Amino acid sequence: MPDRILRWVDERFPLTAMIRGALDEEIPGGSRHAYALGSAILFVFVLQMITGVWQLFYYVPSVDHAYDSVNFLRTEVPFGWLIHSLHYWGANAMIVLVGLHIARVFIYGAYKAPRELTWLAGVVLLLVTAGLVFTGAPLPWDEPGYWAAEVGTSIAGTVPLVGNAVKRLLRGGDVMGPLALSRMFVLHVAILPAILLGFLAIHLVAFRAFGSVGPWEESKRNSTGEFWPDQAFKDTVVAVFLLLLLVFLCVYAPPPVAGPADPLDTSYIPKPEWNFLFLYETLKFLPGRLEPLGTMGIPLAGILILVLLPFLDRSPERNPLRRRFAMAGGVAWVGFIVTFTVIGYLSHPGGVGGTTGPPPSGSSASLSPSAREGSRLFGSLGCNGCHSINGKGGAVGPDLSDEPRRGHSRAWLAAQIVNPKSHNPNTIMPPYPTLGDTQLNQIVDYLSSLGAAAPPAGGASTNTPPAEEKPAPSARPAPRATVPLSVPAPPNAGLAPTNPSLPATAVHGAGPLSGSTGQGPPGPAASVIGSVEHGAKLFRLYCTSCHGPDGKGGVSNPGAEGGTIPALDPIRRKFFSRDPGEFATNIDRVLQHGAIPKGPLPEKSMLTFGTTHSLSQEEISDLEAYILSLNGVERAELKHPGIPPRTWFLVVIAVFALAVGGLVGVRALRFR
Amino acid sequence: MDEKTPHPDPPSEATRRGFFRVAIGILGGCIGLVLGIPLVGSLVGPAFRKKVPRWARVAPVESLPLGQPAVLSFTDQSSEGYLRETVVRNVWAVKRSADEVTVFSPICTHLGCRYDWEPNSGHFLCPCHGSLFGLDGKALAGPAPRPLDTLPVKIENGELFVEWERYELGISRKIPV
Repeated sequence: MPDRILRWVDERFPLTAMIRGALDEEIPGGSRHAYALGSAILFVFVLQMITGVWQLFYYVPSVDHAYDSVNFLRTEVPFGWLIHSLHYWGANAMIVLVGLHIARVFIYGAYKAPRELTWLAGVVLLLVTAGLVFTGAPLPWDEPGYWAAEVGTSIAGTVPLVGNAVKRLLRGGDVMGPLALSRMFVLHVAILPAILLGFLAIHLVAFRAFGSVGPWEESKRNSTGEFWPDQAFKDTVVAVFLLLLLVFLCVYAPPPVAGPADPLDTSYIPKPEWNFLFLYETLKFLPGRLEPLGTMGIPLAGILILVLLPFLDRSPERNPLRRRFAMAGGVAWVGFIVTFTVIGYLSHPGGVGGTTGPPPSGSSASLSPSAREGSRLFGSLGCNGCHSINGKGGAVGPDLSDEPRRGHSRAWLAAQIVNPKSHNPNTIMPPYPTLGDTQLNQIVDYLSSLGAAAPPAGGASTNTPPAEEKPAPSARPAPRATVPLSVPAPPNAGLAPTNPSLPATAVHGAGPLSGSTGQGPPGPAASVIGSVEHGAKLFRLYCTSCHGPDGKGGVSNPGAEGGTIPALDPIRRKFFSRDPGEFATNIDRVLQHGAIPKGPLPEKSMLTFGTTHSLSQEEISDLEAYILSLNGVERAELKHPGIPPRTWFLVVIAVFALAVGGLVGVRALRFR
Repeated sequence: MDEKTPHPDPPSEATRRGFFRVAIGILGGCIGLVLGIPLVGSLVGPAFRKKVPRWARVAPVESLPLGQPAVLSFTDQSSEGYLRETVVRNVWAVKRSADEVTVFSPICTHLGCRYDWEPNSGHFLCPCHGSLFGLDGKALAGPAPRPLDTLPVKIENGELFVEWERYELGISRKIPV
């Protein structure tokens, strides 16, 4: 029956002839595992296409739903974790394999006549692969992906003359927003794969036209082998090992849940994936006007060398030992990439993430005792979450490194701290009406001491308005200001100055009632799976001063029941749940709406991070993920894994072990 | 004869190549299997997943009046795939005893209007078409085809939990939508 069907087809379509054309090939010197690299790339590419298409059953390319839809796939769709992770690790494998394939072709001199077109098609495939990696990164709309695209498109913008146009074309406008995501999506799933398939066809047809180049020693080329089944068997074995490796990585090193993209996040420090690290590191050596040399010059030079290679090196000699110039160039290029990748990997970009203290302002020893105390307050009140000093701190508010040079009087500074709206009605800076005169003076002393050359502003007041906060470059703009947690009540930003001696309940106005906890519905963050790692940084920045390091508690709160602020590790029973969604919802109400401890006169109360937009919903989701992790609950728990990852790995191993065992048996019985 | 070595095809070579063909088939089949199961599972699983009860905390039971209806508002988190939203819902609750509370859906079983409690008559009255229900939810008058719909409830640690549900309207049987 199958023969009859095949004959029927062959009479109407040259199927058998095409299969023979693809499989019947003589390989000079015989088959080798080293030749399996091309087939391995093809195998991984097919894997990428399948897992990519499968993700489209769940993925939604919009800034509102992309992150949630990817996490739904990962945690609630059976084997979604595997499909997503296979795509992630498959992309990494593609780059490694393409690099090895190019290296092998280069060493074997297989780019030389008459195989120039095969080589050139391969160069295009390399570039398209890099393009797929770049455009795929922002699709989950998580922190690393968003910032990779933000920085990547900004780099394109540094190209002289056309840079800005290229950047706007890639983004669909000024900012990385919904239009940018749509463009990246279409490029990733339609345009680039189509280009890749086209050039893959050219690459394979050209390769088949001239066959494998074989060993460079003539003596080894006398014998030949067959692609089918000799080389195909080796290709299959390599594919099996690749699949096992990829499944192993998916199970034991799954891609991290990196937290939702937050364009306003000043504590996130972007660092590219390993595959672009060498360029990232190179840029550090080419600052200022030399930057375009690093952003475009070096990559363009690398591409040009690859394109021109077969035309520059026209000697028929293929033995690498006799091509010393070419080999030296190749080794130097690989050495450069590897060295700069390693340096980039080991580098630790600085930033505010994880810092809780005030930023340095020169030698602290040179500060007066009052200014030193002001420096401490600047950190503990969380001012550095928005304001940067000497390169450390947030970027939401103005940089205060040279505050004395602005000509603000002490009175102006004090008014700005107590009631920022008195200077600018539209400011998003929260007021600090309950600071005592001493504390206020200490902070003003500290700000006045900044900048070595400038004396503190004297008593004369000026009408110079403060530098306005940066406009939010956000696709989802949300006004944000950092509110410290350790201030005495009230928690609500924007209240008129009140008497700090009043009890919390008396000054709260619309805030939570005394003894209340999380009055109000959960916010959007409750259903978002945040990043534990980023949550830990935010916790150190905003929460440690009250809840203690790692949420261990022990911080006193005079006037509150028990006299201390509750620990978060372990958290109180009424908040805890084994179900991560329920647990997150329980604490989300508190993070969104704040809480006032029970007790006669609690000095400190939990702030309303959500409703005052003190923290973005993305940051709140990260904090929730971290607090859950402190209590042994994984926010990104696999609810419906299909088969649990480690069990699945054992199943895969068992399947191939059985297959190999069966093959050994078949060989012993039938093919002796 | 070509300068190159012709295809060796002794019996041992034919055997070796035959084994390669079998091995490619078996290993290829295994690759298909370990990829096929997850791919099929990812599509089939969510399509046939059973609904999990989603309990919403409504109010402390002790706060409810005994034998009197009380309208309660609570926030319910609805979930459909990756979409989650928080919705404020109202229900009618009648506390029968310290550990028994009946919760009615606020939707009239006739055509979906919101009914109200008439304290003077001691009945629930739907303003749209005049359906009248007793404190126990029974349809007493009007076009309502069935009693008020009760919602699944549970009491844990003195807290009343409700599972929100909608039912088909205008029919005598209570069938979830």
